[in-house]
Amino acid sequence: MSMGWTLATRQGVRLLGQSALVAGAVGVLSFVMTRALPGDAAYRIAAGRYGYDRVDTAAADAVRSELGLDQPAWQQLLHWLGDLLQLRLGDSMVSGDPVIDEITHQLGHTLQLSLAAWLLAITLGLLLGSWVALRGGHWSARWIQPMCTLLRASPAFVLGVVLMLGLGVHLDWLPVAGHGEAINLVLPALALALTLLPGMTQVVSQRLRQVLASDAFEFALTKGLHLPAALWRHALAPLALGTLAYAGMQLVLLVEGVVVVESLVAWPGIGHALVHAVLARDVPMIQGTALAMGLLFVLLNGLMDAAVQWLDPRLREPAGRSAA
Amino acid sequence: MSAMSPAAIKTSPAQLGRWGVWILLAVLLLGLLSAWLGQDPAIQNLDQNLATPSTTHWLGTDHLGRDLLARLGEAVRVSFWLALGSALLAVGLGTVLGLCAAWQRGLTERLLCLCADGVAAIPGLLWVLLVAALAPGQKWALYSGLVLTAWVEFFRLVRSRASMTLAGDAVQAGRLLGFGAPYLLRWHVLPPLWPDLLRLWSYAVANAVLAVAALGFVGVGLRPPTAELGLMMTEALPYYDEAPWLLAGPVLLLVLVVAALQSATRPHERERAHERTPVAGPGPAYPPPAQCTSPTGSHPAGGLQFCPERR
Amino acid sequence: MVGESGAGKSLLAQAIMGTLPAALRASGAISIGGVATNGERALTQALWGRRLMMLPQEPWSALNPLMRMHSQVAEAAHFVRGLDWPTARQQASAQLHALSLGHATQQWLHQISGGMAQRVGVACAAVAQASLLIADEPTKGLDPQACEQVAQLLMAAQTQGQALLTITHDLDLAAQLGGQIVVMRQGQIVEQGPVQQILQQPQHAYTQALIAAQPKHWANYPFAAAGEAEPVVQARGLSKRYGERRLFDGLDLALQAGEVVAISGPSGCGKTTLGNVLLGVVQADAGQVQHRADLPRWKFQKLYQDPPAAFSAFRTVGQALADVRQLHGLPDAQQTQWMQALGLDEGLLARRPHEVSGGELQRFALLRLMLLQPAFLFADEPTSRLDPITQRHTMQVLCDCAAQSGCAVLLVSHDADLARSSSHRHLSMTDLGDREVHMVH
Repeated sequence: MSMGWTLATRQGVRLLGQSALVAGAVGVLSFVMTRALPGDAAYRIAAGRYGYDRVDTAAADAVRSELGLDQPAWQQLLHWLGDLLQLRLGDSMVSGDPVIDEITHQLGHTLQLSLAAWLLAITLGLLLGSWVALRGGHWSARWIQPMCTLLRASPAFVLGVVLMLGLGVHLDWLPVAGHGEAINLVLPALALALTLLPGMTQVVSQRLRQVLASDAFEFALTKGLHLPAALWRHALAPLALGTLAYAGMQLVLLVEGVVVVESLVAWPGIGHALVHAVLARDVPMIQGTALAMGLLFVLLNGLMDAAVQWLDPRLREPAGRSAA
Repeated sequence: MSAMSPAAIKTSPAQLGRWGVWILLAVLLLGLLSAWLGQDPAIQNLDQNLATPSTTHWLGTDHLGRDLLARLGEAVRVSFWLALGSALLAVGLGTVLGLCAAWQRGLTERLLCLCADGVAAIPGLLWVLLVAALAPGQKWALYSGLVLTAWVEFFRLVRSRASMTLAGDAVQAGRLLGFGAPYLLRWHVLPPLWPDLLRLWSYAVANAVLAVAALGFVGVGLRPPTAELGLMMTEALPYYDEAPWLLAGPVLLLVLVVAALQSATRPHERERAHERTPVAGPGPAYPPPAQCTSPTGSHPAGGLQFCPERR
Repeated sequence: MVGESGAGKSLLAQAIMGTLPAALRASGAISIGGVATNGERALTQALWGRRLMMLPQEPWSALNPLMRMHSQVAEAAHFVRGLDWPTARQQASAQLHALSLGHATQQWLHQISGGMAQRVGVACAAVAQASLLIADEPTKGLDPQACEQVAQLLMAAQTQGQALLTITHDLDLAAQLGGQIVVMRQGQIVEQGPVQQILQQPQHAYTQALIAAQPKHWANYPFAAAGEAEPVVQARGLSKRYGERRLFDGLDLALQAGEVVAISGPSGCGKTTLGNVLLGVVQADAGQVQHRADLPRWKFQKLYQDPPAAFSAFRTVGQALADVRQLHGLPDAQQTQWMQALGLDEGLLARRPHEVSGGELQRFALLRLMLLQPAFLFADEPTSRLDPITQRHTMQVLCDCAAQSGCAVLLVSHDADLARSSSHRHLSMTDLGDREVHMVH
């Protein structure tokens, strides 16, 4: 099991490293953003504290020396990053509530939406992809490829708008926006799942085709296995592994889609919060939400990597060639 | 070969690619012509707002009376300018850095890989969003964000391929013969890369167009009155009932352009680049019987003409 | 079935198995065990496992990397002979033990060597008890020891009552296996009969040429004696290890101008590494390599095992040669001379490397090196990828070049006969515990 432990420690180190990179990048960018805001930060913060009418130079100076705003830039940056590392993310400039509270609240909603979309995409993708690989020329499979081309070219917000107008407004099957009941989840999850679907279908069908054409599958048939047995024993595992390996790519699409879809249907998740924060130039919220999304991405990627490493015996166990 | 082998898809990838190129040319033509011959997209005419398509306004007008066709033309110019430019920069940057990493190895390679991994640790749209937030509405911010996210793909492709080529026999033989870096790069390292670079570049352009539209849609990208596809969609939503063509125009154009760009790529190539594990590979292509290439296969056993063949 | 590539042996085997590519049309009749299949996959597939089975040419890519060896053998027994799983597993273990793979039953594909993978393939066949076993080029790319093992394996399969159809270009393997031999050339059967009789008294000219092309029948090349001047390459105390394996230790070797030294040994013993160290492209862990002082770097060259690997696929052969001439300022006339001497046609210059046959491309590679008038040439298994008759011709050409140009040649080969007949000195790398490399002859 020592191999397993070194693998785990290596993955853990990589995870920490990537998290550090994400935190560093987000922190530095946020810091630059605060500096880029117009006006003097000291006056702004003093106005926030005492009200716009009661700010004078003395108050601003007091704030400046208190918060160390007169220090050189690099020192302020270090302070900023230090705060970030201790997860002192401050308060939202818009609502005044602590950023941490808001994020933990929103994270759950985003995870709910993402999970629903992902499961839907995987199920549909496996079904459609396998169907295309096995019965490519059949009339029932011919429409899948053009549909995938169309879906791949349609960004998440276009799909969202089309679904909203089609299913929500015209047919009135689904509520267009809102949050709270299960039915509200359907529209955004469907929009997100449709952005993930073409890639999934393509990968599954291409992987399955590769497996069916491979030497290993042919040898299984040559050995005398009938087709269902060969598919079950020799096609399923490589297919599953290949699909899992692609899931990392899917994560990128998912995170990017979440930002847009949540804004479209006003789903109270992290993506929505990020966009609103950027519009309002609420830097602590920008930093908090971007950090949350980035770290979530790193964590999920790490989990995928770990799953692939553990499930594939070639990566799990050493390749020491025994003597012939 | 067997009952299991999937039938060929109706349209071969080559055909799709060609179709895509025609569409792109047509769209570019629209953008250029509307700049020279079309109406000014900025002129508002509130008497004529939400007009249906007619002879004066071929696609009608929007809620401020601006000619929709002209606005679409401007949107095409804006999107392509941003997308093509940033993708080109990304190709250049990624290729140069990839070649450096593959040639130098050692510390240079590790630093560059670290940078690439750092950038890849955050999804592209998020990066563009954050960088755009630094200077909302400014084109340079969008440019930087797009280049920042796109160069990593090219870097990784060039580095892995170039490393393999540089470690191979052909380059070793070239070095032994006395050839220097320029010759080796030009005739051994770069030629196999061109097709994949072109494909990835096309994909990067599609991605950039999508990213700019997405940001425009949520209101963080380019600001009005600039015509941009995503922005136009947001502006058209409230008038969907009265003037559905206002929404349909940018949506169709966006989907068409992106589909055309993506058809020039082979999407599964990109997915393969992100894989972690090798799985059962494709079977060997049954080689056709080798042809005898030389007119004379001289043989020391005398007189008998056999064709020396590769095993 | 013996013959060179392009003779149609593999196609015939594929027709019997029913796995002909869809693009090819087959006509005629094939029947297996009384069942007429005529090369159709649908008809033949029903017989797979029970009546006939084909050993994969590349066992590494034919086994499932995600399933343990044991299961892969057991499933043949379960699905073909209808045994229940416990019995099937028992038989699989027994079979694997019989092939001395007992320790590998629970292992994965990436943990076993190529030779072991081949044996697992044979175990599958044995357990399924197919009446006809087809082996397509079972010794491709293997060194003599591994070939021997494969021959033993196949003969063992025969004793269990299976019929064996072996496709090979290796006449020694055919001799070992016994039975009948069929000699094919360009889709025609030129001779057939009992093995011993055909190999000892070949009637057809092609068969005679094939037999003469075996290295063990080659006459020693009449080299002139090597000079006594300062050696071109001198190595002292070389040591190298890859990971835990020690390839060579404290090795001394010197090559004079015009001398051909051949090194033979099994694959993986370090011959190629030694050559690379002498050439200067790889560093040894200890010891030093001295090139004669007055020679520039580019006088030390290498001839590669796989001819297309040494050329850029994007330049025609003519352009590649022109590049070298331009780089070193060499006249055109030399190239024309060498092309005549090596028997290469002008028309080939306009072709890309993959459009030229292996033997010709290897001669072009040799030509490219000879233009530089090298002082030292490291020939790394230069003919192992070529057919026997081409191999004979190319080795002859190589020896001619060495004799004429007076360059020192280090020839590496896994074929001891080839090494012996084409060199001044023949060294073996089998035992590396000592300070001196063993001398043979």
